Amino acid sequence: MSSNISSLTLLRSLYQPQQAFAELAGSEPSARRIFLSYSLWLLLLPPVFALIGAANFGWRLGADQPLFMATGDLLTISIGYFLALLFGLFSTAIISRWMAKTYGASVSLGRHMALITMVGQPLAMASVAHLFPDVLVNVLVLIPATIWGMYLLYAGIPVALETPPERGMLMASALMAWLLVAAVSLLGISMSLWVLGVGPLLGV
Amino acid sequence: MQAADNKIYQDKIVIRLIQFSVVWAVIAIGAGVYIAAELVWPTIDFGQYWLSFGRLRPVHTNGVIFGFGVSALMATGFYSVQRTSHVPLFAPRLAWFVCYAWQLIVLLGALSLLAGWNTTKEYAELEWPFDIAIAIVWICFGVVFFGTIAQRKIKPIYISNWFYGALIIVIAMLHVVNSLALPVSIDKSYSAYAGAQDAVVQWWYGHNAVGFLLTGGFLGMVYYFLPKIAGRPIWSYRLSVVAFWAFVYAYIWAGPHHLHYNAIPEWVQSLGVIMSVILLAPSWATLVNGVMTVSTAWEKLRTDPALKFIVLSLAFYGLATFEGPMMAIRSVNVVSHFTDWTVGHVHSGALGWNAMITYGTFYFLVPRLAGRELHSTRLANIHFWLAFSGTMLYIIAMWAAGVSQGLLWLSIDGLGELSFDFKDIMASMTPYYLLRLIAGLVFLLGTVLMAYNLFMTLKGQRSVKVTPPAVDPAYGVNA
Amino acid sequence: MNGLTFHRKIEENTGLLIFGILFVSAIGGLVQLLPVLTQESLETASANTRPYSAVELTGRDIYMRENCVVCHSQQVRPLVAEVERYGPYSRAGEFVYDRPFLWGSKRTGPDLHRIGGKYSDDWHRLHLLDPRAVVPNSIMPAYPWLDERQASDTGDITNKLTVLRRLGHPYTDEQVANAEADLEGLTEMDALIVYLQMLGTGFSEEDAAMAGGAH
Repeated sequence: MSSNISSLTLLRSLYQPQQAFAELAGSEPSARRIFLSYSLWLLLLPPVFALIGAANFGWRLGADQPLFMATGDLLTISIGYFLALLFGLFSTAIISRWMAKTYGASVSLGRHMALITMVGQPLAMASVAHLFPDVLVNVLVLIPATIWGMYLLYAGIPVALETPPERGMLMASALMAWLLVAAVSLLGISMSLWVLGVGPLLGV
Repeated sequence: MQAADNKIYQDKIVIRLIQFSVVWAVIAIGAGVYIAAELVWPTIDFGQYWLSFGRLRPVHTNGVIFGFGVSALMATGFYSVQRTSHVPLFAPRLAWFVCYAWQLIVLLGALSLLAGWNTTKEYAELEWPFDIAIAIVWICFGVVFFGTIAQRKIKPIYISNWFYGALIIVIAMLHVVNSLALPVSIDKSYSAYAGAQDAVVQWWYGHNAVGFLLTGGFLGMVYYFLPKIAGRPIWSYRLSVVAFWAFVYAYIWAGPHHLHYNAIPEWVQSLGVIMSVILLAPSWATLVNGVMTVSTAWEKLRTDPALKFIVLSLAFYGLATFEGPMMAIRSVNVVSHFTDWTVGHVHSGALGWNAMITYGTFYFLVPRLAGRELHSTRLANIHFWLAFSGTMLYIIAMWAAGVSQGLLWLSIDGLGELSFDFKDIMASMTPYYLLRLIAGLVFLLGTVLMAYNLFMTLKGQRSVKVTPPAVDPAYGVNA
Repeated sequence: MNGLTFHRKIEENTGLLIFGILFVSAIGGLVQLLPVLTQESLETASANTRPYSAVELTGRDIYMRENCVVCHSQQVRPLVAEVERYGPYSRAGEFVYDRPFLWGSKRTGPDLHRIGGKYSDDWHRLHLLDPRAVVPNSIMPAYPWLDERQASDTGDITNKLTVLRRLGHPYTDEQVANAEADLEGLTEMDALIVYLQMLGTGFSEEDAAMAGGAH
């Protein structure tokens, strides 16, 4: 029996996280419904903002001249960005559920999907900074969003997934390890792709 | 039951080493903050050679590695080797000599670095008189440590001792070989190796100093203190055996990844890549062992700050030991080499892994040694969030700076001309350096809070007298 | 189970454990270091590379004392953009007299391996005394004390050349005898600039062509 977690609940986690987590607790929502009605649209924001920003303003990695890329390349990168985010959401939710038994957490995939969506939501919203694709501006906006997301992870797991506090902390740290590894892998894979030719011209 | 000796564990020396370690942490991280500030405001050396970036930087690196790090390893090594052997330290007077002689080496070494005595070989900057002193003190350290093991009342040598043992043996080997030089005067020598050959020797040393001191030694800490806190044995004995030997074997080969696209033979570089990637396996096997050990005994855990630090340090250990092999791959290294990404990688390990596991272990140990509760759990929890956010801010700032530099340096336009001037690229790094400075300040603040907290806990207390407990005859030396 | 029974033996014997660790950890070093330390091409100077003169060596020792290597690399990589920015990529034969090597591991400032002859002596002097006078946004520290110290203050140059000769650098008796005199009247600043001006000049395109462009 699946209870419905509304999009409002997911949105509410931005400004009333404790209530949102409490609503999640005890529910068994449909992972597919949550993804199709909310997470999918949230994940579209960063690539779309990035595409608009890069096309209109060019990439600024620091020094004054912005880099403009061909529209084809930009589209490829945006699609790649979206696919990476999709992978990130699904893999984290699935890994989170895989860990659930070890930490005495709920095994409802829908709940994990909802929680991970909530954790990533601040970053997705903050990606509006991509509209002006200056690396520094993005770093300054995305760091507080990241820290807020980290807080949601540690605060959310014990309540939403109904674990005892100590186990919840352990589980959050384990997921943190996965997220760090995923982030740095993204960095490495992006570098490798850029060096291999997808992106601005590099003299290697 | 065998009767326990009437001797007690030598714990005063553990306390003393922890005190020194904490003092070095504050001084050396403080030096780090100062040089971070110099990268934003270069004139704050006020034209004084002893405040100059070039002279202060090795004071920072040597201070954190040899002052903070080694003192912590000696403290926890002495603590755990006694308890896993069920005997007090072998040759306690020699141990005290090691303790104080080491501090003297670090202090005088720092002063010599300010005076410009510098081999320029990273993490081996101290000149030849110090190299000799280090070798002597290190041998004494080995004698005390292995002497204690040799006199143990329990037959098997516990795994944490393998790691501390590997630290002692391998660092000795690396130090002796890499430091070979002909002296010219008390403050100057010329390396026995030159050019490309020196490069390969130096990074065999440099990478494995990280591997066996900053990784291996601290894994010894994990293998002792994690089961202690969790109240359960290590999750998988078999895994720890395989992981240990694979670790000792594989790490040594990875040095050349510091020299990709440099003037050394290709085959050496390629070996470095392969073994760096292979190294991921034993590194993560140990991580899994640690995580599973804690997970199976959650009901014994209290929400005390020590555990928070240790658990999070494992997450950063996972990051750093994953990022390393990744950066060793040529196509990533092309962008990352010579940039701040390397600095970010170093600090994700140094702050996220080394500092945090040490802080957690100190929060666990000091109350026990003092025989009273930690002075302030609230301060320790505040410290936790300061350390966590300081580390994250540092890493993100350096990732952004490093990737930008790397890509901008390589950027060419359609005609094959360079897109950017070097000086313009570096001028645009200032905001990231400012963020990194803030990160360092936050981390330093947390460290200072810890120093206060621990010293208040120790204040006025004599170290608790602990007698080695009797040994189950099934595991005794005569079994 | 046999493997673990064997391991039990090591675990119960201090000596075996010590030996085992030493043996296993030595392998990688032996395989990587021995061939490199005995490879002749890594010890053979390229055609225009010669031992540092008394003044150049003094300048290099100052470079080391001030730790310039922590911000400036001396290793141009064989990458298109790098060769474009700095010049021909660095070959092993150019570093055979570098004790120790100064390739560096960080570029806070630009690579210096091909800096020789690119800027005038006066430019270097101004830049070292106050980097921001020449490069407004520079974060490099200033080195005013170099002008206040004599080159001979850096150390006993005769002794230095003697030691290097013992390590195989082909100095003539004349060079050693004249070393001190060579430094007369020069400041540390002068010596450092002389060193910087000869960096990278030990390479010629003909060398690379003859060697087939390989290391």
